[in-house]
Amino acid sequence: MVTKSKLKMALAAEKGVDFAKLKQQKKAKEAAKRKAHKASDKKPESEDEDALDEAPGATADDQEKMNLDAIYESDTSESSIEMEARLPRKAKPDQSKNSQQEKEANDDQMEDESDDEEIPVSDLEDLEEEEREDIVPHTRLTINNTSALLAALDRISIPTDNSVPFATHQSIVSSAQTSESIPDVSDDLQRELAFYSQCLEAVRQGRSRLIREGVPFSRPKDYFAEMVKEDAHMEKIKAKLIEEASAKKAAAEARKLRDLKKFGKQVQVSKLQERQKAKREVLDKIKTLKRKRQEHSSDVGTKEADIFDVSVDNEIAKHSQRSGTGRQQSGARTPNAKRQKKNEKYGFGGKKRHAKAGDAVSSGDLSRFNVKKMKGKASRPGKSRRKAAASK
Amino acid sequence: MAAVYKSLSKSDSEKHEPSTNGIKKNKQRVLILSSRGVTYRQVLIAATDPLHWPSGFFFSDKFAHRHRHLLNDLASLLPHGRKDAKFDSKSRLGELNELAELYNCNNVLFFEARKGKDLYVWLSKVPNGPTVKFHLQNLHTMEELHFTGNCLKGSRPILSFDAAFETQPHFRVMKELFLHTFGVPQGARKSKPFIDHVMGFSIADGKIWIRNYQISEVEQTKTKGDEEEGSESAAAGKNSNSDINLVEIGPRFVLTPLVIQEGSFGGPIIYENREFVSPNQIRADIRRAKAARHNGRAEQVAGRFAKKNELGLRSNGNRRAKDELDKTALFA
Repeated sequence: MVTKSKLKMALAAEKGVDFAKLKQQKKAKEAAKRKAHKASDKKPESEDEDALDEAPGATADDQEKMNLDAIYESDTSESSIEMEARLPRKAKPDQSKNSQQEKEANDDQMEDESDDEEIPVSDLEDLEEEEREDIVPHTRLTINNTSALLAALDRISIPTDNSVPFATHQSIVSSAQTSESIPDVSDDLQRELAFYSQCLEAVRQGRSRLIREGVPFSRPKDYFAEMVKEDAHMEKIKAKLIEEASAKKAAAEARKLRDLKKFGKQVQVSKLQERQKAKREVLDKIKTLKRKRQEHSSDVGTKEADIFDVSVDNEIAKHSQRSGTGRQQSGARTPNAKRQKKNEKYGFGGKKRHAKAGDAVSSGDLSRFNVKKMKGKASRPGKSRRKAAASK
Repeated sequence: MAAVYKSLSKSDSEKHEPSTNGIKKNKQRVLILSSRGVTYRQVLIAATDPLHWPSGFFFSDKFAHRHRHLLNDLASLLPHGRKDAKFDSKSRLGELNELAELYNCNNVLFFEARKGKDLYVWLSKVPNGPTVKFHLQNLHTMEELHFTGNCLKGSRPILSFDAAFETQPHFRVMKELFLHTFGVPQGARKSKPFIDHVMGFSIADGKIWIRNYQISEVEQTKTKGDEEEGSESAAAGKNSNSDINLVEIGPRFVLTPLVIQEGSFGGPIIYENREFVSPNQIRADIRRAKAARHNGRAEQVAGRFAKKNELGLRSNGNRRAKDELDKTALFA
């Protein structure tokens, strides 16, 4: 199949040759030859048994998989022989020779068969090689020789039913399938929980049964013996636990500190806002005061009112200047119309040069000076402290 | 003559013991050994906390020597086991049968390490099978798991099997083998008289997950405990009232069944799991996917090169043939 060229395939197709049939015939012939060969040799009993075990298995398989073609059947019936060729058991000298011959006979066949197992459909012959590669995994067949499995089980099984005391085997099969309670296998928590509950159920059952049978179950407090994890190991685990706990605690503390810091900042901001608010309130008060004065001014002597007005005005102007809202409001300082026009046209006017240069006044101004800001770096710790830090 | 006498007397004594119920005694001995190559090399991985490794972490590309540690862990849990030196061959596994016979073992637990990273576990009944081959993944040994559970060395475990083990014949065979290998038989030589751990075998996602828990009993009320001390026979019934919780001991691992052979390390294959994809295949696929990305880019580069060449945009490439409508020709 694999080895034939396209031209040959085309020829064969024209002649109507069925490769599968041909192959089957060939195999049947070979099998017959082999059987004859074997019959002449003395066969060990075990092999006979295998053959016997194998035969019903193959038929059972066929019943299960009716849709598979004949190639598969021949494969399963030969599988025992193949395996023995590959994995030699305690072979007697004459048999080893025999198996060698079989191996030679099988060698070329095995390559074909490995393909056959995976591609049961005969119409794959005309497929390109790449396509065939794609198809292989989907058409794989599973060997599941039920009768042989059951026979093997019978051979080795020890009784675990109610006829024997539970203490002989101590095995419990859970009531429900664990996989049903695991919706997603990669969800660690759910999966472990399912395993845990399965084991817990088994322990509950097993414990009651063991106690009923009078088997000592729980270890008395004064029974000391070697444990699976020795003391050093448990010590390590303990240290790890402590370390974890302390790390958690430290992290919590750090978080608390950070939160406090954040809170402190909030406090600062709120204080500033409060100050601003107080200032506004003061200004409002002044304004209302002024209005009241003005209302009163009609009644009281104008001179007095003027004096008060000026002082209040000044107060307001000071504040408004600082907030930078109303330059226009101080109407007395507005330049004349011509100057205004020129200001609009050429800008404010005046020199721009040396505007930022320092002078006697600015250098004398220490309002912005801050001792704290000058101290950028932390001072060098003392000798003893430095030593302590180095030894750490 | 001594041997003959011994065997005769042994059979006699055996006859006396189980004659009450006429059932053969559960006698198991396990040969525990590994192939060479379990301590091949160390491969570091990014994650450090084994508990947070994703469950789909299918390559045991972590510490290869963990295979050996797992073997030691299991050996410490199996008082009926006989740990032997590393087995030298990976191809002639049939010799294991003779080795097991030499040590009077009727079970073999064989760790086959491949490439220092893949671990295959063989479980076999020695004289005449069957043998199950598993692929072992997601392995965490007792040492690295830091679980607080602990149990007596050699106490008999309760084996807890998933109900799914009874559904299919191949799972039944596996269950039987687990029962023989991991279940400590009654009266095993080094076993301890109390039962303080449980081994869980669960099937999920087509794999067998194995866990090991300590059984810790918590008395519900103090007064009840005092009563029990007073009259033990009466306490037997009440004892089950006390609360049980489990503390994991470790190790943890997952087995993917590959093949069941009829014989012991030989014989016809009677079950084969074709859903299994070998780790080699997975690694190769990943490599290939990576290579494909590079190949795609390389192809793009070549394509661009060719395209530019065709358009005559390269200095030393071929020039475009001038036709009569070319600008230079038209406005010459």
